[in-house]
Amino acid sequence: MTQKIAIDPVTRVEGHGRVTVHLDDNGKVDDAFFHIVEFRGFERFIQGHPYWQAPVLVQRLCGICPVSHHLAAAKAIDQIVGVDPEDLSPTATRLRQLLHYGQIFQSHALHFFYLASPDLLFGVDAPKEKRNVVAVAMEHKELAKKGILMRKFGQEIIKAITGKKVHGIAAVPGGIQKTFNKAEQKYFLEENDTPSAKTMIEWSKEIISFIRSYHEKHYLWLDSFASYPSGHLGLVTDDGAFELYNGRMRAIDSKGNITLNDVHNDEYLKYFVEGVEKWSYMKFPYLKSLGRHEGWNRVGPLARLNVSDSMPTPLAAEEFETFKAYTNGNTNNNTMHSHWARLIEMLYCAERIQELLHDPDILGDDLHREGVQRPEGIGIIEAPRGTLIHHYRVDEKGMITKCNLIVSTTHNNEAMNQAVKWVAREVLDEQKEISEGMLNQVEVAIRAYDPCLSCATHAMGKMPLQLSIYDHLGNLVNERSRN
Amino acid sequence: MNEAGIKAVEKILVAGKIQNDTRTLVLGIGNNGRSDDGLGWAFLDELEASGIFNGKMEYRYQLGIEDAELISHFDQVVIVDAYADSLERGAAWQPCKPEDNFSFTTHEVPPGVILHLCHDLYGKTPQVDCLLIAGKDWGLKIGLSEDACQNLDRAFGLFKERLVYQLNE
Repeated sequence: MTQKIAIDPVTRVEGHGRVTVHLDDNGKVDDAFFHIVEFRGFERFIQGHPYWQAPVLVQRLCGICPVSHHLAAAKAIDQIVGVDPEDLSPTATRLRQLLHYGQIFQSHALHFFYLASPDLLFGVDAPKEKRNVVAVAMEHKELAKKGILMRKFGQEIIKAITGKKVHGIAAVPGGIQKTFNKAEQKYFLEENDTPSAKTMIEWSKEIISFIRSYHEKHYLWLDSFASYPSGHLGLVTDDGAFELYNGRMRAIDSKGNITLNDVHNDEYLKYFVEGVEKWSYMKFPYLKSLGRHEGWNRVGPLARLNVSDSMPTPLAAEEFETFKAYTNGNTNNNTMHSHWARLIEMLYCAERIQELLHDPDILGDDLHREGVQRPEGIGIIEAPRGTLIHHYRVDEKGMITKCNLIVSTTHNNEAMNQAVKWVAREVLDEQKEISEGMLNQVEVAIRAYDPCLSCATHAMGKMPLQLSIYDHLGNLVNERSRN
Repeated sequence: MNEAGIKAVEKILVAGKIQNDTRTLVLGIGNNGRSDDGLGWAFLDELEASGIFNGKMEYRYQLGIEDAELISHFDQVVIVDAYADSLERGAAWQPCKPEDNFSFTTHEVPPGVILHLCHDLYGKTPQVDCLLIAGKDWGLKIGLSEDACQNLDRAFGLFKERLVYQLNE
């Protein structure tokens, strides 16, 4: 008799999802799915609004990465007002980059310290009362204090540029609305209530040392858990280096062969298409040339390091080389190495923030450029969780007639489903009792992608995740819910 | 009384009162896109417009772990939030005690847990009080319901009753 297991809700991810495991009549796992059951329809209701509202409206998709949506939309709207990235003023470009790195820094800090660290520090079988950041704070005080201040640093950068830590406004069509001042510059370069950029670099290095030593002790688990071959997608510079703000799209397959060769933003529709499944509101993007089953890619920190030939900042570059050497330069398909990759990105962001804080352009007053209006704009950016695509079309009055958003977590949809299937087959298969630790392993696999399900479905409301087991007749035989 | 004397008096903490200086933080919790859920923010708007408060104000969608660090810099904290049930006077004070037993989500951390973490991580225990304001409508709308507006006025009255006014005002 086939049985089905459902995890509903899945915890410590952003959003509301549900996992179901289908068992055959021998109790073996037949299949497993990660369902996203939120729906919002953001792409539809933004239609009819004037183009200049898009960067403000779309950031309401999310309370964790609003800056990424704000900037991706802004890049698209720049094109609608006839301003290409290279035509933005240096001040606008630098401040948008500073904002972007602040956002990724704080989001990665949130994920590592608040969401992932309980699994790493206490183990996946720890009692659920322990698997949270408060337990981390109580038993690892110094680590927790650093995590809090690292997130605060990124949030304060955001606040300085946008006026608010969440849902502020910085970018305007063709530029940015305010410049930085010397007091703000000094604040982030010196020790205050918020540590300096220099301290952030030091602490980022310390955290990478922690994860490397953790890897030495737990490599058997980290090198195998929820690992599987896949494609990887991310932005790179013209010379193939790691890039987060403005680059070309590159994809590779699980062996490192290039499957998307440094494509310009404007061309994404030529190469990508989104599939749908009846059991999820979240779409499944893939490369047309490879098809639905071969053309999907992971995105995010692990993918970005995989597709890049080099890292532009010196300290992150050293860590990048160590990371690459771990797999002898081959593509890294180890899902749990995402945490290591994420921390290397934090170091990169800290280095870039320090560099930008010393750049006199951030104090400039040339904020805004104008061009000749166009009917369409595409903005692609590397958000904390991966490649984020915003695409708008407007009519002659400047009203939005079409909006297409492919967010990072959507790119990772198939990857998360593969991770869930891996855990179902390796951990849950033929188990008479499903323990709390087993359930948590399903979540750990999903959590490695740091998914933001509210962004992916453009959803709202309460965001718990949930696991159910069904037999082959569709009868629910076991269910766990957490809130 | 000379200026030094006035300042000395101003710094005396009065039991049950809200000290009106930079040692006091008022946190407004909510989301003004969800009608009466915006009560916490509306309270801060009104407090700022009134010009009577000399402390610091912060807007929040919800409390986060990092707020333990924030409140460690203050002697007194008032957390203003919408309340989903009815209150006899439309608004009410609720003292906050440290709590170490809770289930974590990224979206919400109770005030008592924030206070507990503040003590545990930073060795500080500011006086924290919650000011609850009853709301009625929670739909997608910017703007408070009529009932919520009345309750906001009542809450503002409760706050003013406790606020220590500067002697030179």
